Amino acid sequence: MRNYLIDNDKNEYIVDLIKTRTHSAEMVEFEFRTIKDNLEVHKEKIFVRKLADQYFASTDGVKWNKLARQDSPAIMLNVDKVYKFYQGYKPSSAGGGDEGGLFTQMPGKIVKIMASIGARVEKGQTLIILEAMKMENEIKCGASGIVKAIHVKVGDALENGILMMEVEAEV
Amino acid sequence: MISKSNAQKRILIINRGEIAARIAKACRELGHTAVGVWTDNEVQAKHLEVCDEWVRLPGSTNAETYLNIPNILAVCKKYEIDGVHPGYGFLSENTEFSKALVDNGITWIGPHPEAVRVMGDKAVSKEFAKKVGMPVVPGSTGAVPTIEEAIKIADQIKYPILLKAVAGGGGRGMRICHNEQDIRNNFEAVQREAASAFKNGDLLVEKFIVNPHHIEVQILADKKGNVFHFFERECSIQRRHQKIVEEAPSPFIGEDEDLRQRVCNSAVNLAKAIKYDSAGTVELIMGENKEFYFLEMNTRIQVEHPITEEITGIDLIVCMIQSAFGEDLGIPSQEWIKRTGHAIECRICAEDPLTMLPAPGVVTGCETNFPQGIRFDNCLYKGLVVTPDFDPMVGKLVAKGIIREVAIRKMRAALDGLLVEGLKTNIPLHKVIMKNEVFLNGKYSTNFIATEKPQEQVDTSMDYTALYKKIAGIEARRMGL
Repeated sequence: MRNYLIDNDKNEYIVDLIKTRTHSAEMVEFEFRTIKDNLEVHKEKIFVRKLADQYFASTDGVKWNKLARQDSPAIMLNVDKVYKFYQGYKPSSAGGGDEGGLFTQMPGKIVKIMASIGARVEKGQTLIILEAMKMENEIKCGASGIVKAIHVKVGDALENGILMMEVEAEV
Repeated sequence: MISKSNAQKRILIINRGEIAARIAKACRELGHTAVGVWTDNEVQAKHLEVCDEWVRLPGSTNAETYLNIPNILAVCKKYEIDGVHPGYGFLSENTEFSKALVDNGITWIGPHPEAVRVMGDKAVSKEFAKKVGMPVVPGSTGAVPTIEEAIKIADQIKYPILLKAVAGGGGRGMRICHNEQDIRNNFEAVQREAASAFKNGDLLVEKFIVNPHHIEVQILADKKGNVFHFFERECSIQRRHQKIVEEAPSPFIGEDEDLRQRVCNSAVNLAKAIKYDSAGTVELIMGENKEFYFLEMNTRIQVEHPITEEITGIDLIVCMIQSAFGEDLGIPSQEWIKRTGHAIECRICAEDPLTMLPAPGVVTGCETNFPQGIRFDNCLYKGLVVTPDFDPMVGKLVAKGIIREVAIRKMRAALDGLLVEGLKTNIPLHKVIMKNEVFLNGKYSTNFIATEKPQEQVDTSMDYTALYKKIAGIEARRMGL
């Protein structure tokens, strides 16, 4: 089965299950490989066994780690990156967004908008103050340029991944 | 009609998450009935598992639920509550609430309102500390109304200075200013943050101490005037002025027993002066030269209380409840309280380990595989939704060892054995901190995160093995293994 992991920046990892071998009623061996940019970047065997109604995984059949009880997840994480997880198919369109767009990185409320349409802004300048987790977070500009559009107003409560402001970067 | 004996009290826990569960356990130990609360946003809250009874708080915002004093009073009447434990945050330092409870004949499991009033106001508490002979950090004597006034005081006490909310806490409503321009830029923002978080926009100006250590002393007092200290904790590893790693005893004080005695005794003196009668913490700031100043007193149980419990073996929450009902704490004298070993706490937060910004989400799985000697106070369960409405902390990992090195070793193994699926956590960051040389030497100040930048050493490369294991688990279940 082919698995797709796609992050917000559209980085894509394809994880293929290439071999399944059943050793016993309790133990199965899987072989996976990862493809990135059309190249095979990694390949490894994983053993899974069921013991006392728990699932354990191992790379060598010697040292086993308990697997978290979880359903087929819609997302997967690796340290600081969140990947959308698709099994068996790849969605035709995932994510998107303009260069210089300010997106919410977490749900929050707009406290202050510190630039207006047409204003010249510098890289690193604070453009929006977003209150989340009871803290005021400064949303800074990623590139110098001109504010093209503002899609929010003070007091708006926003979900994750909402486009708040667009900045046309200088060439 | 609810039947009960005289000794058995009914205690309402007006909090959520790990602390609510912790308090419920203490209530059960004492034979009291633990009454937990839940809201429509958190129907499956894990703390309810350890409560004896459950009450629904109607509404969707904190103001309608955990902060709604009239409704909580009505709940107390309806469910014949004898005592209320507020935990930390929410109403834990709200005198209006504690007074209302006492007026209704309900025991407030916390200090008397006067202590909270004095210590809850940074300006008043500083004056009080000064009066009882405790050194304080130089700064404004009261609220500073204008930017110009703030600049004038800053010129007197010299930069850098700290702008902070009179009613602040937990690092909210605080900014460091290095010059006049900084004050002009930040004054209004801090005021706004203070006004929205604490309903009080008054600000203080204070000298900022370079390379400071955040040391705090755990205090416990009963209603008969006995005040005990439970030694110190060092909480210098902070991000955005919020603690993430704490340890007891402080490695900075180290073997200096004379300093330790002076620090602890000054905290006891302060608590005695205010006739303190519950669990509390005296926070101090200690400079590189080991001179210390009074920072504030937290008139509640604190997040990091477990490390003190681990090194002293005393259950602080149980004592706090006993104290509130005027019972004997069972502690004969200060000398009787001994400390052994070393304890470290890592706060496990739902946040991006690189940016350290909150990362709300849904927990899709959680497994633990800990070495001996680990305590994990948490509210994690599969399906937990971490929302922006609450603090991103989801658990506290506490490791105890006979010496600091052993505690660190255990903590490293525990972090490796803690698996939280579905949301970003700061576990990778803690792993880096536990291997950082400055941390291992025990010579870190509150600038640790800023100077050591552990977030930059977090390994972000794709962990293929972990990824394959997750997918293998899904496949195995699908196959019906």
